[in-house]
This record gives sequence, C-alpha cells and structure tokens, in this order.
Amino acid sequence: MRVLGVSYGYHDSSACLVIDGEVVAAAAEERFTRQKHDANFPTYAIAHCLAQGGVSTQQLDQVVFHEDPHAKFSRVLCAALAPFPRSRREFVNSTKAWLGRKLWSLGSLSARLDVGADKVSYLSHHFSHAVQAFLGSGHDEAAILVVDAVGDWACSALYSGRWENGTPHIERVLEIAYPNSLGLVYSAFTAYLGFSPNDSECSTMALAAFGRPSYADEVREIVRAADDTSYEVDQSYFNFAEFYRGPVTDRFVAAFGPPRDFRERLPFDCLAGAEISPEAQRFADIAASVQVVLEERVLALCHTLHAKVPSKHLCYAGGVSLNCVANQRILADGPFETVYIPPDPGDGGTSVGAALYVSALASCGAPESMRYGAYLGAAFDPTDDIAMLDHVDPEHVRRYLKHGVDRPAGTRWRHRTHDDVGALCEDVTRRLMGRQIVGWYQGRAEIGPRALGNRSIVVRPDDRELATRLSRHVKDRAPFRPYALSIRAEDAGSMLEGDDAALAHYRWMQFAAPVRAEVRERVAAGLHVDGTTRPQVCRAEDNPTWHALLGTFGAAFGVPALLNTSFNPAGYPIVSTPSEALAMFARTDMDALVLERTVVWKE
Amino acid sequence: MLRTLARLRIWLVVKLVWSSRRRLAEAVRGFQATEADGVWHLHRGMRRVTDPKQRAILFTHSLEEESHADEFGRVYSAYADRIASPLAYERADLHPSSAALWKTVAYVHVGEEDATSRFRDLRDALDEGPLRQALARIVADESTHVDLTHDMLLAMGAREHEVRREVVRVRLARLWERWLRSGKRIVDALATLLLSAAYLTIGVFLSWPARRRLASRVVEYDNNRLKRLG
Repeated sequence: MRVLGVSYGYHDSSACLVIDGEVVAAAAEERFTRQKHDANFPTYAIAHCLAQGGVSTQQLDQVVFHEDPHAKFSRVLCAALAPFPRSRREFVNSTKAWLGRKLWSLGSLSARLDVGADKVSYLSHHFSHAVQAFLGSGHDEAAILVVDAVGDWACSALYSGRWENGTPHIERVLEIAYPNSLGLVYSAFTAYLGFSPNDSECSTMALAAFGRPSYADEVREIVRAADDTSYEVDQSYFNFAEFYRGPVTDRFVAAFGPPRDFRERLPFDCLAGAEISPEAQRFADIAASVQVVLEERVLALCHTLHAKVPSKHLCYAGGVSLNCVANQRILADGPFETVYIPPDPGDGGTSVGAALYVSALASCGAPESMRYGAYLGAAFDPTDDIAMLDHVDPEHVRRYLKHGVDRPAGTRWRHRTHDDVGALCEDVTRRLMGRQIVGWYQGRAEIGPRALGNRSIVVRPDDRELATRLSRHVKDRAPFRPYALSIRAEDAGSMLEGDDAALAHYRWMQFAAPVRAEVRERVAAGLHVDGTTRPQVCRAEDNPTWHALLGTFGAAFGVPALLNTSFNPAGYPIVSTPSEALAMFARTDMDALVLERTVVWKE
Repeated sequence: MLRTLARLRIWLVVKLVWSSRRRLAEAVRGFQATEADGVWHLHRGMRRVTDPKQRAILFTHSLEEESHADEFGRVYSAYADRIASPLAYERADLHPSSAALWKTVAYVHVGEEDATSRFRDLRDALDEGPLRQALARIVADESTHVDLTHDMLLAMGAREHEVRREVVRVRLARLWERWLRSGKRIVDALATLLLSAAYLTIGVFLSWPARRRLASRVVEYDNNRLKRLG
C-alpha cells in the first residue's frame, strides 16, 4: 500500500511517502525552495518522495492531509470575530485567505496531484502529531503528549496509544483548546524579546540560560495552573488573533517593561564574558522566567497524563517538543522511564504521522517496522559541481562575500577526491586539528531542523576563538546561542552524565544533556553557559560515514566529540544541493567543504 | 514616452507611498524576495547544465544575486519597525525540464533588464539613505548581468533571432502576469469592502457565540479519527 502524507498551509510544508508501512522518503518543502519554514504547497517535496519511491501519483492508494481545514476555519473565524468591533482587519484578512485558498486545501490536493477525491483523507492536526510520535516510537503502548502553538482547535493534547490485533488505537485523554496555548505564549515572548516568532524560539531558550527567573511569578499568573492539573492562559496579556502585528498587549508591556528593539545587540556570549547592562539582563531574566514556567506546565501535563495513562513510555511531539531544555526536564523529573521524540517533531513531521497512520489502519505495518530514522531527504550527485570548480574565479567571488567576511587576495580553490572513507576522514581530521571550519555534505538530507552529520558544519570543540569566527563569519549567529556536540554511541558515557537509559535518548539533538565536568574544558566551544550541550549520539548503523569521522577525529583530538552545527546561513534553511553548499562555502569564511568523497578547500 | 511614464510612476511611488517607512520596508522585503527567487532559479538551472564553464557562470551569477538579497535584507532592517522573515513565494520552474535551458536564461535576461531600469529609476528618485546606497551598488551589477545573460543565451546554442523571439514572448508573459496581479488587487479590494461590510453588519451577532466557543478551555467534539474527502 502506497500512502502519501502531505502538510501545508501554515508553516513547514512537507511530504512523506510510506510504502507497506515503511517510511521511504520524507522532506520539508523549504529544503527545495530555499525559503525557511515554507508554507506553500509542497510541490518539490512531493516530487522527491514519489521519485524516491519510484511511484507516480496514479499509483498512490491514499493521500492524507495533516489537518482538518473545516475545523481550523471555524477556529480562525471565532478568533477573528470574538474581539468585535476591534478585529475588522483580522476578520477581513483571515477570511480572504481562507475562502480564497486554505479552506479548499483538500480539493486542491486532489486536483494538483490528479488523484480522485475518494483517495483523499485527513486527520486533525494534533492527532497527526500524536500518531507521528506513537507509530514512529516502535512501542506497543505509550502515553502520548502533543504541545504545539495551535492546530485545528487544540493547543495541547494528551492521548493513550496501544497496538491491538495489528491496529493502532489512539484515544484522547484531554485536549486543551485555543487560545490556551503554551506554544503561542512562548512565541509571543519570543517576539517581545526581539526575535522572529515561529522561527527563533531557540533564541529565547538560549537566552534563558543567562538569566534568573525573577519574573516567574508574573508569568505563572499569566499561564495559570488549572483545576484539572493542566493550565489556562490569561488572554488580557496577548493578542493572538493579530499575532504578526503585535502579539502582546499594553498590559503585558506594563508588567514586563518595553519590548526589545530587534536591532539592538544582546551582549551575552556562550564563549566569552561580557559586560551586561541592566536592560539586557532584564530580557535574559524574562526569557529565563518564561522558560521555567513552560517547563513547569509541560511537566504538570506529563504528570496528569501519567496518572491517566500509567505507561513507562512517553511519546512527545508538537513544536514545543523542540525545546531541548524542557525535554531534559521531562526526562530527568518526569514520571516516564523513556521519552520518544521523533526526528522532526514540529509541523513538518505531521505528514509522516498522517501517512503512517493510514498505512497502519490498513494493517500494513507493526510497531517495530514503523520506526524511522532521520535520513529520509533528498540526495544529489556533486560530480558536475566539482567539475565546475576549476572555472570559478575566486577573485571575482571575493566581491560578493557575506557582510563582514574578508578573504585575502589571491585565494585559490583546490579539490581532491578520496577513494575511501578512511582516507577522507583522515584528511578532514587533519584540517579540523589545524583549526579549520569544515562543511560536511553527504548522502540524503536529514528531516527536521537538526544537522545530524549529512548537512553539517564542523570544527574542533575546544577552540572558543574558532567558534566565534564560525558564529560571526560563517553562520551569522548570535553569540549567546550555543553549539552542539556529536559523539559516537560507544563514547557517550565518557562525555555525558547519565546512565545508559538516559544516553539512549540523545540520537537526534533533542535534549540539553549535562556534560561531564572533567571534559568540559576540552569541549568548551560546544557547551552552553550552564555546562550542557544538545548532543547527537551516533550509532554506526545510523550513519556509518559520520560515525567513522567522529571516531577518527576523536582518536586524534583525544576527546571523542566534534562540534557540529547545521549547514545553513542565518535566515535560510539547511542546504540541500551541492551547489547550495558550495555557495555558502564561497561566500563565507568556511575553510574547506566535503562533498561526498571530495574535499574542496581555500588556499 | 513609456520610459517617462515609468519614471513618473516610480517617482510618485517613492514620494507618496514610500513616505511611510513601513511601506518602504515592505517594498524592500519584496526586492529581497525577488532576488532570492532569482538565486533559486539559477541553482535549478545549474542542475541541468553539464558544461562546467557554463555551470560556473550560472554559479557566480547566483552568488551575486544572493549578495543582493542579503543587501536588501540589511536595508529592510534599517527601515522596519519589527523583525520579519523574508517573504515566501510559491516557487515554480519557469519551464518544464524537457524545454531548452536557454529559455530559462532568456527569462532571467528579461528580468535583469527590467530590474536594471527599475532600480536605476528608484535610485534616482530616492533621497540619500540605506536603500539608495544599496541600489547604487546593485544597479552596477545588474547592468553587467544583462550582457552576461545575453552572451550565455548565445553560448547555449540559441540563435539571435530565437533569442529575440523568446524575449518578446517573455515580455508578453510578464505583461500578462502584471495584468493578472492588477486584477487580483482589484478583486482583493472588492473582497475587503464586502467582508468589511459583512463584519460591520453581522459581526456583532456572531461575536457572542464566537466568544462562548473560545471560552471553552477543552476541545469537546471528537476530531480524532480519519475522515474522507469523497
């Protein structure tokens, strides 16, 4: 049975192809269109999935959409009408968008793919998240938690999941309705702190480590604990209906002070001390406060869920599950023994959940066989791009370097192709030891927002100056945002605190794990100020080439960890094709780039 | 005559519409998106070129366009009152993959010609400021791109008369697109009027049930099952 899952319309459009219960391909549209969080119809992601599976749209048995457009439209209308008479603009804009396009998403899906309406089905948004987490986990039974900004009507949802007679059964425990949204509250604080909402929540989380939660009581008043041990949000502080015009009200500003101008630089730095003004510290304290309250409320939801579904396993998805600090808190202080978060737990992953569920309902799959990894995106052959290099004039390129980047005149580009992985890893290790910044491009792209060794930029983890150069002249990234470490599974125990059960959670950079005190100085550039890192623990069977590089570098460096960050400049998604990787190499201060077996470097 | 009218139109836009910094910022955001769209088309085009020399020319061109997109991004920050992601267009290939690649380059060529004259007129109409400075740099690049893309068209095997014919076809297509955009704007304005009238007349009656619905803290209806369209 061939099932295509599709999500689009809000952000992170994506597609996924499941054949006989196995995820064959999945990708976000942004990787093909170079538009971060692209919400448009996922034309290219669908084309990738179909090509990877070797099927045409006519051969699809089912196409399943990730949300219920009718339910969502009713919520959008209610949100726009409730503030009458102050919401004319919101009513007009949202009704135009919905009546003009979004309400007809299912028909549009049928028409654009040229499949009959009888083959098109849909699930609610949070249910798509729930099945994505449960079916991907491989568990026979589990408690399921979804915490998101907003789906159709639900913002947070609790479920129980179990397999019975070869079919998954997922039952609702509690769904908390819009506008009581932890995700929207966190995004509103993100906008208030001068970061881009629905994109830079990670900046709020990173900033939180520099602050004290001195505003936590005020935030607790806004996101109150409710009688059923969930929560409710005081709406007088927010303007969710017109989120992008200004998500917080005057009352919010009266409570927390004026918002940060996004142009003002925050002086915090993970890698060096800095003089902090009281105003900057206020923003860090507010970030710390909203982070703490978010953790408390999510943890309370976990306890509520566990009381009703006393499983050992938690399956967790939704945009809030990208918050690795809160995830670590769930792991450390929550009532569950294991916490499974899929590799793409945000909206991009709902297409995977929807497709897996339809497949499972048709008895095409079992808990074990439905597990999937992270390397499901597109692969491209770099041969023609490498052949082109001898015809590119680096002197001409120097005129178009990224802002603030400088390269000496006379810089040449060289390249060498290795026959085997061992020689490649030796070459790259030599460069890393020589304090070079290396781009690493291999095979199929990862799904989700994390670079897990196929579209990565790597440097040695002990050199703070090198990491600062990476932030300033390659990534264009705020210095208060930490980098992450990649570690081989067999070395994880020597690097990270926690027993084997805890270490098994760290496959996809979803938890902020404490690093052992004795190695912290050696990996200082890959740590946050609180001594944690968001580790990727790589098993050889997950990614043999990346595992080999980690091994070779670890042996040379003496500590088995490599600083790994995503291969993208600020404001763009992770690179997809070799030419995009080369463009970033050309315009930034990257020293070398690995395209499959070929190393390109500046000399 | 047409050029004079175009210049007058741009002068009016700059002096009247862009007196609002917010509108100016949004326009710059549009420029950024257009340049980024060009980068995307060039990378798509590159994948169909096996000749390393031609591929290198497209690659270098894409780097220049990317630096322009970055430049407009910085100018946006100077004018904007809030942070915003770049605009996202629905991307679509200009031609099916079976069509000759030079036809895509012809489209890029016409785009470069139009961008050069439009940016030049804008630069001349603007007062001193970040956008004018950026345009001064970008216009110089864009004018070299016009020659570059023309040379590429010939290098890709297109004959001069074919190029001329394709350029006319692209110009007509762009005119048609402009006409469609104008039509959309008119429909949009009418829809705004109609929906505003609906809001003001029946909104008051619908707001009460909407508030009631939003006051419910939990989702009561069962929406957790597979539903079918047909």
